[in-house]
Amino acid sequence: MSEFDTLASYLSVAPEIGLTILLLIVLAFSVARREVERAAVPYIAGFGMIALAALPLIFAPGDANSTIPEGLYWGGMIRYDVLAQVFRVMILLAGGITALMASGVRGVGRRGEFYIVIIVATLGMSLMSASADLVMVFVALETTSIPLYILAAFKRDDTRSAESGIKYFLFGSFASAIMLYGLSLLYGFTGQTNIYQLAAFMGSDAFANNLVPVLASMVLVVVGFGFKVSAVPFHFWTPDVYEGAPTPVTGYVSVASKAASFALLVRFFVAVYPETLALSGESLQNFWIQLMAVFAVLSMTLGNVLALSQKNIKRLLAYSSIAQAGYTLIGVAAIQSQELSIASVGFYMFMYTFTNLAAFTVVILFSEATGSETIADLAGLNRRSPWLALAMTIALLSLAGIPPTAGFFGKFFVFNAAVRSGLTWLAVVGVLNAIVALYYYLVVIKVMYVDRSEDEDKPIPVGRQYVWVLWATSLIVIVLGTVGAQTVYDWAARGAMGLFT
Amino acid sequence: MVALSEFAPIGAMLLLAIVVGLLLLFISRILGPNKPTERKSAPYESGMKPIGPGTRRLPVRFYLIAVLFILFDIEVIFFLPWAVVFRKLGLFALVEMFIFIIILLVGYFYAWRKGALEWE
Repeated sequence: MSEFDTLASYLSVAPEIGLTILLLIVLAFSVARREVERAAVPYIAGFGMIALAALPLIFAPGDANSTIPEGLYWGGMIRYDVLAQVFRVMILLAGGITALMASGVRGVGRRGEFYIVIIVATLGMSLMSASADLVMVFVALETTSIPLYILAAFKRDDTRSAESGIKYFLFGSFASAIMLYGLSLLYGFTGQTNIYQLAAFMGSDAFANNLVPVLASMVLVVVGFGFKVSAVPFHFWTPDVYEGAPTPVTGYVSVASKAASFALLVRFFVAVYPETLALSGESLQNFWIQLMAVFAVLSMTLGNVLALSQKNIKRLLAYSSIAQAGYTLIGVAAIQSQELSIASVGFYMFMYTFTNLAAFTVVILFSEATGSETIADLAGLNRRSPWLALAMTIALLSLAGIPPTAGFFGKFFVFNAAVRSGLTWLAVVGVLNAIVALYYYLVVIKVMYVDRSEDEDKPIPVGRQYVWVLWATSLIVIVLGTVGAQTVYDWAARGAMGLFT
Repeated sequence: MVALSEFAPIGAMLLLAIVVGLLLLFISRILGPNKPTERKSAPYESGMKPIGPGTRRLPVRFYLIAVLFILFDIEVIFFLPWAVVFRKLGLFALVEMFIFIIILLVGYFYAWRKGALEWE
C-alpha cells in the first residue's frame, strides 16, 4: 500500500457499505406507521441483499491497471481478490434468500428486527471472506457470531429456541476466546497483525525456530475455525442449535456462516502457515494438513453415522451438515494440489449454499403447514404437493452427490484435489462415506414418494416468495450440476490462484 | 529477537490455572461431606421455596436505558478525538461525522418509535 486510493478503497468494501445503507432503510421501514410498509420489510431486505450480490461482480478485482487492483486495502485490513468476490456473492445471495424464506414463518416473519439482525450477520460474513488482518479477522468473526446468537434465540416464547441460543452463545464465545488466544500468540511472536506478514517473520532467523509455540497458536486457531464450520470434534452444539433455532436461521447458519468460515480458513492457513514456512526442519503445512485430514474423516464418519438414526428432519440436516463440512475439509487438506484444492472448497461451498437453502425452504413450508418436523410425517408429500417433493428430492440428491445435481461435481472436485495431492486414502474414505450418506437421504425421498398418509388431499400452501426461492435454488443446483459447473469452478480457481501469489 | 523463554510466565500461568482448577474440584470432592436432601438440591432462590418456572420474563427497562446510554456515549466519545483533529482533516472529517450521526439518528428514531424512551 503505497498511497491511499480513496475510490478503490471504498469500492473494495462496496457490499459492506451497501449492506449498511440497506440496514438503515430496513430499520426505518420496520417502524413505519403504515402496515403495508412494515409488511414490505422482508422483501426489501431479501431483494436488497440479492441485488447487492451484483456489487462484487460489477466492481471486480482486476490487475494493477484496473479501477480496483487486487490487493490490500484500508491499511491491510481488507484483501480484495477473486476469492473474496466468490464468497461475497454466495454469502449475499444466501442472506437474501434467507430473508425471503423467513417472511412466512410464524413468530419471526413479521418482525422487522429479524431482518435487521440477518443483514448485520451478512455484513460480518462478507467482511470475514475478505479480512487480512488479525484484528479484522476477530472483529468480523464477532460481527457474524453475535447476531447469529440472537437469531438462534429469536422465538422468545419457545423454550427450544432459547435453549438453542444459549447453547450457541456459550459454545461460540468459548471457541472465540480460544481462537483469540491463538491470534494473540501470533501477535506476541511477531509484533505483526497483518496475516500476510506473519509467515515471513516466523520464518526469519530472528525467530529462531520456535516450533512448539507456533504449533500451539495453530491448534488454538483451528479450534475456533473447527467450531465455526462445525467439524468433529467441535460439533457438539450443531444438532441442538439447528433443531431449536427458527428454521430460516438454521438454514442460514448452516450455509452462510460455514461458507464465510471456510473462506477465512483457507485464506488464513495458506497465508500464515504456508508451505515455505519450516521451523526446526518441519514444514508447518504438513501439520495442518494432517489436522484437517483427521477432522475431515471424523466429521464425515460421525456426521453420516449419527444422521442414520435421526427422526427429526432438522436434526438430520444438522448431522448432514457436519458430514458436508467433512467433505469440504478434504478439499482443505488437499492443499498441496494448490489451486485445485481451494477451487474445490469454493465450488463445494457454492453448491452447498443453494442446495441446503432449498432443503430448508421445503422444511419451513412443511412445518408451517403441519407443525411437524418429523421425517415420518413427510409421508405422501408427493401426492400432497408434487413440486415441493421434487424440490426436496433435487436438494437431497445434490447433498448425496448424485448427478445431474451440483453435489456430484462438488464431491468430484474435492476428491480430485485429494487424489492429486497424494491423499488417495482420504478420497476413498470420502467415497465410502458418500455411500453411507446416500442411505439416509434416500430414506427421506422414499418416505415422500412411497409412504402413504391420511392427509394426501391437503396440499401444502406455498407463498409466492417461496415459489421464487425454490425455483431459483433448484435451478442453480441443476445448472451447477450440468453446464454451469465449469464456469463456477474456473471462477473459484482464479480466486484460488490469487492466494498463492 | 524472540526467545521462547519470554513466554515462560504465560506458560506458568496456564499450568497454574489448570492445577488450581483441578485441585479445587478434587479437594472439595474428597474432603467435603456429601449428604444431599431434596431441599438442598432444589434450585436456590434466596433461601425461599422455589416458586413457578425458572424462565419467567423480566422487565428489561434498565437494559433498554443501558443500550440507549451506549448509543449516545459512543457518539460523545467519538466526537472528542474528531474535534481535536478536525482542522487537519477538513471536509472529509465533516462528511464522515455526518454519516456517523445519520446512522445514530436512524437508531434513535427506531428506539423512539419502538417506545424505548417511555418509562411506562
